[in-house]
Amino acid sequence: MITIEFSVNDKTYVLEVDPRERLLDVLRNRLGLMGTKEGCGEGECGACTVILDGKTVNSCLILAGQVHNSVITTIEGVGNRQSPHPVQKAFVEVGAVQCGFCTPGMVLSAKNLLDKNPHPSDEEIGVALSGNLCRCTGYDKILRAVKLAAEEGKQ
Amino acid sequence: MKKRGIGLGCAWYGTGYGNGFPDVSSAFVEIHDDGSATVLTGAVDVGQGSSSIFAQIAAEELGLRAEDICVNTADTDVTPDSGTTAATRQTYNTGNAVLKAVRQAKSRLLTFAAREFSCPTPEGIELKAGYIGVKGDPSRRMILGYMVFKARLNGERFISAESSTARSTPVDLTSGQGAPYWPYSFGCQAAEVEVDTETGKVKVLKVIAVHDVGKALNPTQVEGQIAGGVTQGIGYALLEELELQKGMIKNPAFSSYLIPTALDVPKIEAYFVEEAEESGPYGAKGLGEPAMLPTVAAVINAIDDAVGVRITALPATPEKILQALAEKKEELG
Repeated sequence: MITIEFSVNDKTYVLEVDPRERLLDVLRNRLGLMGTKEGCGEGECGACTVILDGKTVNSCLILAGQVHNSVITTIEGVGNRQSPHPVQKAFVEVGAVQCGFCTPGMVLSAKNLLDKNPHPSDEEIGVALSGNLCRCTGYDKILRAVKLAAEEGKQ
Repeated sequence: MKKRGIGLGCAWYGTGYGNGFPDVSSAFVEIHDDGSATVLTGAVDVGQGSSSIFAQIAAEELGLRAEDICVNTADTDVTPDSGTTAATRQTYNTGNAVLKAVRQAKSRLLTFAAREFSCPTPEGIELKAGYIGVKGDPSRRMILGYMVFKARLNGERFISAESSTARSTPVDLTSGQGAPYWPYSFGCQAAEVEVDTETGKVKVLKVIAVHDVGKALNPTQVEGQIAGGVTQGIGYALLEELELQKGMIKNPAFSSYLIPTALDVPKIEAYFVEEAEESGPYGAKGLGEPAMLPTVAAVINAIDDAVGVRITALPATPEKILQALAEKKEELG
């Protein structure tokens, strides 16, 4: 067991972990942050996306030992019902959520894109979301929502 | 060289289990004294939005808002069976069961309210914007929940149970007659593709999809379901191949069984035709599976239009297209 210190959604945690534990399991089972979903468990689908030190990562591929001194944002740290993040607002407005399983990962990928590149091209939006698989929506409304969030950001 | 082509695909699809197989959906409804209502049904919402549709149906009948309706689904402890979320059947089949159940509970509420308002007939009572009252007489109305509360004090509750069975019959194998499915859903799509003749790679640039949905109970969901179907159709046409060896799946991962990503989707324009299906709830019928069917034909036809080769086994991978192009070149000598 090792001791790690890291920040999740602006809150600092010090935990005793087995360094082989997946970040996904630390977030869900130890911190109770169930918004991060496990899809394939092998880094292909993006359902478990979180933002780690400014980069989107598949939390199923990150080991607990790797996140010492890191800053992590999960979906719980991105807006809430009372004050949704502009990306979340756009998802609701456009109707970009169907079954919802990919949504947390999609929102985090989109948020991280807009944080770094507030005026992305269609191609850049596509690339930013290409690691997040969705089987319901055909991506159409998701891409429209991210575009809308970017446009709202301009004003 | 990159060559462009346009193709058309059409589909018709019988929704529901069909062939006389018992296709039954059930629903329980209660109108509450807080001005809300509960719908209980076994129908599973897997993301297509059936729970929203049932809330909308109940709200429409009761003059409430969709958010006033609590839809409990897929709990075998409390919900009645509504069959599977399959066969493009929940909006039509379970939608009909919900509509019948709401109308049954509502009819008893109207009868009670007619007595309360001294109105000679329940036909004279209307439910509107959260109120119940006598048609055309604004002085005789009250909040819906209050009327239900009065009924409860009288020992009456507005609880209903209904079911709906789709009408289909097996086909008579001698005469070929029968109604194996009811209703049928129709759709037509056009695809524009770009084929790279050097790599065999196909990019779908645009898909225009038009579907007959009877009545779009939730237009946003209709558009979403069409776009989802188109994208699955593109996967079916170009990417998805389940490789089997001695009954084992050789590619059970997203890295080897490819499904479309955000970079594979074209510009999708979704349109719907509303030709009311008389037996459906408010004229609605299913859309789910039909949305992906025409895409495959449209894409394959567009490839033919672009480079003049006919792909007859899916998916149309770059390898297959290059091979077909080579064979065509050989034929032409």
